[in-house]
Amino acid sequence: MNLILTHTGSYPRIGDSPELQILRQTLARFDRGEATEADIRRAEDEMVRRAIAEQIEAGLDLVTDGQIRWYDPISHVAGKLRGTKINGLLRYFDTNFYFRQPVLVDRLKRERPILLEEYLYACSVSARPVKPVLTGPYTLAVFSLVEHQEYRDLGRRVEDYAAVLAEEIADLAEAGAELIQVDEPAIVLEDAVFDLFAAGIQKLAQTKGAARLALYVSFGDVTPLYARLQELPVDVLGVDFTYSPRLVERIAVEGSAKALGLGLIDGRNTKLEPEAEIVAALERLLPAIRSDVAYLNPSTGLEFLPRDRAFQKLRHLVAIGTRFKS
Amino acid sequence: MSREKLRALGIELPLLPTTSVGSFPKPEEVQRARTQWARGLISREELERLERQATEFWIRTQEELGIDVLVDGEQYRGDMVTYFAEHMRGFEIGGLVRSYGNRYYRKPIITSEVRWERPITVSWWRFAQSLTTRPVKGMLTGPYTVMDWSFNEYYPDRRATCLALAGEIRKEVEALIEAGARIIQIDEPALSVRPTEFPLAREAMQIVTEGLPAYFITHACYGAFEKIYPEMLTLPVDNFDLEMSNSNLDLLEHFMRFPFTKDLSFGVVDVHSHVIEDVETVTRRIRQGLSVVPAEALWIDPDCGLKTRTVEEAIAKLRVIVEAVAQVRATLA
Repeated sequence: MNLILTHTGSYPRIGDSPELQILRQTLARFDRGEATEADIRRAEDEMVRRAIAEQIEAGLDLVTDGQIRWYDPISHVAGKLRGTKINGLLRYFDTNFYFRQPVLVDRLKRERPILLEEYLYACSVSARPVKPVLTGPYTLAVFSLVEHQEYRDLGRRVEDYAAVLAEEIADLAEAGAELIQVDEPAIVLEDAVFDLFAAGIQKLAQTKGAARLALYVSFGDVTPLYARLQELPVDVLGVDFTYSPRLVERIAVEGSAKALGLGLIDGRNTKLEPEAEIVAALERLLPAIRSDVAYLNPSTGLEFLPRDRAFQKLRHLVAIGTRFKS
Repeated sequence: MSREKLRALGIELPLLPTTSVGSFPKPEEVQRARTQWARGLISREELERLERQATEFWIRTQEELGIDVLVDGEQYRGDMVTYFAEHMRGFEIGGLVRSYGNRYYRKPIITSEVRWERPITVSWWRFAQSLTTRPVKGMLTGPYTVMDWSFNEYYPDRRATCLALAGEIRKEVEALIEAGARIIQIDEPALSVRPTEFPLAREAMQIVTEGLPAYFITHACYGAFEKIYPEMLTLPVDNFDLEMSNSNLDLLEHFMRFPFTKDLSFGVVDVHSHVIEDVETVTRRIRQGLSVVPAEALWIDPDCGLKTRTVEEAIAKLRVIVEAVAQVRATLA
């Protein structure tokens, strides 16, 4: 079993020292008409380089670009498509973070790649492999407001988001991404419609080419969904253990036919979890995974933490995970 | 019922009392002084002098506009949770965390037992109230929200954290009452974050308010209140201050289905928009408010704190509220 130490998505785009405030300041100067889009781009590039450097310094095998350029997980993706406009703020699950809601005003269309350029830039400045992360079709569909009549139906929204994201996945795979992560947190919501969600994932799986597809679910208890998630056409299933007191036991007993992304380190609280707890969970989980690979990662992106704490979390994860590396 | 309670506390208010949610924009000199103070360039006393001056400006402005129940404008606060964390034991102030877009705040970290040691807001309340004969609200952030907006490294779980905070925050309420505050607002914007935890938020509010002689308001915003309604009405407060305009007044539908049984402070202007609403829009919203609660129970205010607007925009929005209320009052008389 090869345990790959990786990250789940976002990394803080700010820190306390002046050199870590450049993106914040550039955006503020842009608002006052004192900076250009090129200036923002340069500041983002700089913060992406730093986010990647910190992940590598912490000891991760596989990194993300930290989603530094993302306004939020929803509007960054939806806003780059034709057929959307961006609306007011809404709380992102039970976090203290707010996202802007997209409004569907016309048929969705991908006029140009959404994340490809960001992925290529991250690869160009990373000494370790980079994992692109996208928000999935079901989550985008659920959080979109509807003006375009055809999209009153949630199924139609999922289908069309899935179609444009499938194009993106084809591009990312073509560009050499070996593992592509799709985040679908909305499937944990009480009124989620599993079949529509599954149809979206199936569509994405069709265009992944040589890449492996990882489906990540967080912000809720996935225990009740576990069996059905195992049936989806994805290569890796990422689960958030912080909401799921019974999930370790469930997986230990039922096993996993897929590689798992183990979200055992809480990405949302500064407290470093007792090492013995994580070790005990890994000792139960790893033998149950019927795959030659597993991933250890935070339960969510790390943007919910201050930068120094985010780095500590990764160090903690690496210190524990290294003991299980073959 | 609540009018009687107010009367018993010695407070007479007109129909449709106008008020504000809490924060007003900081004038440029206060913003500049805060930065200078953070860099050690000016003294705490100098910063406070400017904060007092700005508080006086806002009290005078509210009086001139004709607002009925005043707020101190929170010129001395950075953030609604961090401010209280800074003044209680048990917290460390963490590094910057993004709340949305390009906005960041210092999220507190609970590292040991939380303890209220001395009054936090009382001297500001006393100062504000000394400047006016109209009632000034005492203002603080509730235990559920402080818990939800802090990292927890000390307590075993959210419940233990929230209840510990409730016991300490009650001491601040008692201190405000002792100083003379009769209307006290306890902000709980996180109230609807986890609907299954509503009973915990209620239990905590009970600890904060039980048996105390004040008229209690709670402010909540940008949440999914439909998920905790009508259960929400069992929160032990007299008045709910709700953001209504930002959400296209969606909540009204729920209030029609299950009668709203508390007093309602009805947010009639959007605080995240530069656009100043016209009087007709605001009178229409007030009438919508009147369709769900009787005039005796309705208060009128902005959706949320006005601190993100400019001073001019904030005043313009308040002026529209006062004008619209005057028009509606004339038809009720």
